[in-house]
Amino acid sequence: MTAFVPPEIDWAALTPILIVLGTAVLMVLIEAFVPTRVRRAVQTVLAVVALGGALVAVAWRWGVVQSQGGSELVGGALLEDGPALFTQGVLLLLSFAGVLIIADRYQGEDAFAPTGAAIPGSTYEEEARRAGLVQTEVFPLTMFAVGGMLVFPAAGDLLTMFIALEVLSLPLYLLSGLSRRRRLLSQEASLKYFLLGAFSSAFFLMGMALLYGYSGSIRLSEIAKAVPAMAGMDSLLLAGVVLVIVGLLFKVGAVPFHAWVPDVYQGAPTPITGFMAACTKVAAFGALLRFVYVVTPGLTWDLSAFLWGIAILTMVVGTVLAIVQTDMKRTLAYSSIAHAGFVLLGIIALDVRGISSVLFYLLAYGLATIGAFGLVALVRERDAEGNITGEASHLSQWAGLGRRSPVLSVCFALFLLSFAGIPLTAGFIGKFAVFSAAIAGGAWPLVVIAVLASAAAAFFYVRIIVLMFFTEPATTADGRETTVVAGEGLTTVAVLLCAVGTVLLGVLPSPILDLAASAAKFML
Amino acid sequence: MTNPYIPILIMGGLALLLGVGGLAASAVIGPKRYNKVKVDAYECGIQPTPHAVGMGRFPIKYYLVAMTFIIFDIEVVFLYPWAVAFSELAVFGLVAMMGFLFLITVPFVYEWRRGGLDWD
Amino acid sequence: MSLVNYLVLSGILFSIGAVTVLVRRNAIVAFMGVELMLNAANLTFVTFARMHGELQGQVIAFFVMVVAATEVVIGLAIIVSIFRTRGSASIDDVNLLKS
Repeated sequence: MTAFVPPEIDWAALTPILIVLGTAVLMVLIEAFVPTRVRRAVQTVLAVVALGGALVAVAWRWGVVQSQGGSELVGGALLEDGPALFTQGVLLLLSFAGVLIIADRYQGEDAFAPTGAAIPGSTYEEEARRAGLVQTEVFPLTMFAVGGMLVFPAAGDLLTMFIALEVLSLPLYLLSGLSRRRRLLSQEASLKYFLLGAFSSAFFLMGMALLYGYSGSIRLSEIAKAVPAMAGMDSLLLAGVVLVIVGLLFKVGAVPFHAWVPDVYQGAPTPITGFMAACTKVAAFGALLRFVYVVTPGLTWDLSAFLWGIAILTMVVGTVLAIVQTDMKRTLAYSSIAHAGFVLLGIIALDVRGISSVLFYLLAYGLATIGAFGLVALVRERDAEGNITGEASHLSQWAGLGRRSPVLSVCFALFLLSFAGIPLTAGFIGKFAVFSAAIAGGAWPLVVIAVLASAAAAFFYVRIIVLMFFTEPATTADGRETTVVAGEGLTTVAVLLCAVGTVLLGVLPSPILDLAASAAKFML
Repeated sequence: MTNPYIPILIMGGLALLLGVGGLAASAVIGPKRYNKVKVDAYECGIQPTPHAVGMGRFPIKYYLVAMTFIIFDIEVVFLYPWAVAFSELAVFGLVAMMGFLFLITVPFVYEWRRGGLDWD
Repeated sequence: MSLVNYLVLSGILFSIGAVTVLVRRNAIVAFMGVELMLNAANLTFVTFARMHGELQGQVIAFFVMVVAATEVVIGLAIIVSIFRTRGSASIDDVNLLKS
């Protein structure tokens, strides 16, 4: 029996996570004590300040890690190294833009139901709407999700990873059910996301249990050490690794595990869709990257068929199904599935360049995603009496938008071009980096498929651009038409941030590429 | 030498087969004849009433009570092992547990301020 | 009695849970399947902890129980709100998003 030794806690290194989670707790108290009128303003300011502060803290820790090397925090439960900090920086930047879009509102109405507990369409809900109630709990929930995302790619053992997975998922399940309009769809999205999410986390957990049984530890580095000694227990090890990877691939939305993506992306409130599409994917790929690069290098031979199959399926199914969609949010959802496939190439590469290219790709993809969904939230329907109603999400409603609101359309086209990987946008550099890493890792057949899929994907991105700029707006029989609302300017700021980032990364990618390259070393 | 874990996998496969097979077989070959008695709720021989009180629903308040219960349920899961090892964990354990208790109290305060504890 | 029997049991429970999620139409029953899977994983943890002669696996089981409890809170909140809207908790009725 050994005596208990309290773990060494390096509080300084924990600052980014502590700021975000501490603010989240503070926000719950604000919900409890601050009067309704000022609550929303307080929460918005607090969220923006906290995310900005955490970003500064990450930059500071980045300097420390660059000069002194990575370290284990809290007895090895958390790791502070290049990939973790880079992912955290990207996450904070994206959630900063995401929170701005979440906080934005038009004519005093944000994207969320006045009270989530009210029955959709009931008199009570209508009264709550007239009384101007707002569900400001959205902010603490978002902050808790961001906190979980920060821990997820930095986890040093599988238990921390599992808890982080739950901390980031549980708020998102709720948030996706809170849409102000089309609430039935939203609640449905919430239920689907929850059931499938819980199902997949059970797989993750079982995989973790098998790995624990195999190696006697849940620490990633210990499992990695035990991998070569797989005498007679290889089925246990392989089953465990595959189950854990399946749990992570679910969060990423890779193909056999993608069933939730289109439904949830469509049903959830659009600002939340943007936040979740960008940030969840970044966090989950960060964790997947760590798991694959730390634990499985000794298993490449056994796993490659599995991972290759998933990558091919993800790219092909995502692209093909995106082409046949008629709803803007669903199109973007399938396109995000296809992008998950492209990122998987960098992970399969198992090469130093794989890490940095994935990190860069995630930043490029995240910026375009947040921006695109932010704009989707602004394009609304107007009925014959001139009332602004829900979002005009059908593709045909976007026809001719380029003439009526050129700035919005140009920004949206920019994000689409970045998705398509056209030169001078961030997406091109990202795709180029990932593909060349995959070739260096010997996965050239995958790259051929990826290039073909990108070409096919470019087709539907360009089709949307043509629709916006070169098509006459369709008129509907009941006098509904598409209009663009202005919001309070927060979305504008966020979208401009994303657009500038997308162009900058496309024109001058080298500083960020160097940064990602210097991050590309996992601590064991 | 036989891998000792292969039987587990075989057993898992058999269990899966049995579960899926049974359901599939009953869906394919089972007769589907429903009558009133068969679809009624089994009420220990008592005639089931057409509807339970309030259409079989109970007030949402009970859900809040259940949720509050779970908060403290979780708390005890960690308090108990902590209490057993209290003297060994010393100051570190005490401080950590106080932090944990504070975090548990925060949602409780939220619930109380928002009227979750008022019965009417 | 061999410890392997416990692993077999947890494998069976996990499979039953997974099949329940996949074939049962009631959201609450499907959710019970998930809980069964989590608890099967718990049993595996505790058994392996015993095999390795250490406590870590048992500690993990506590964390899993907590996570399972929070999932119950969140899940029931979502299911209750859907039930109040539609008067049914069947997953088959939840099909507006199918296109």
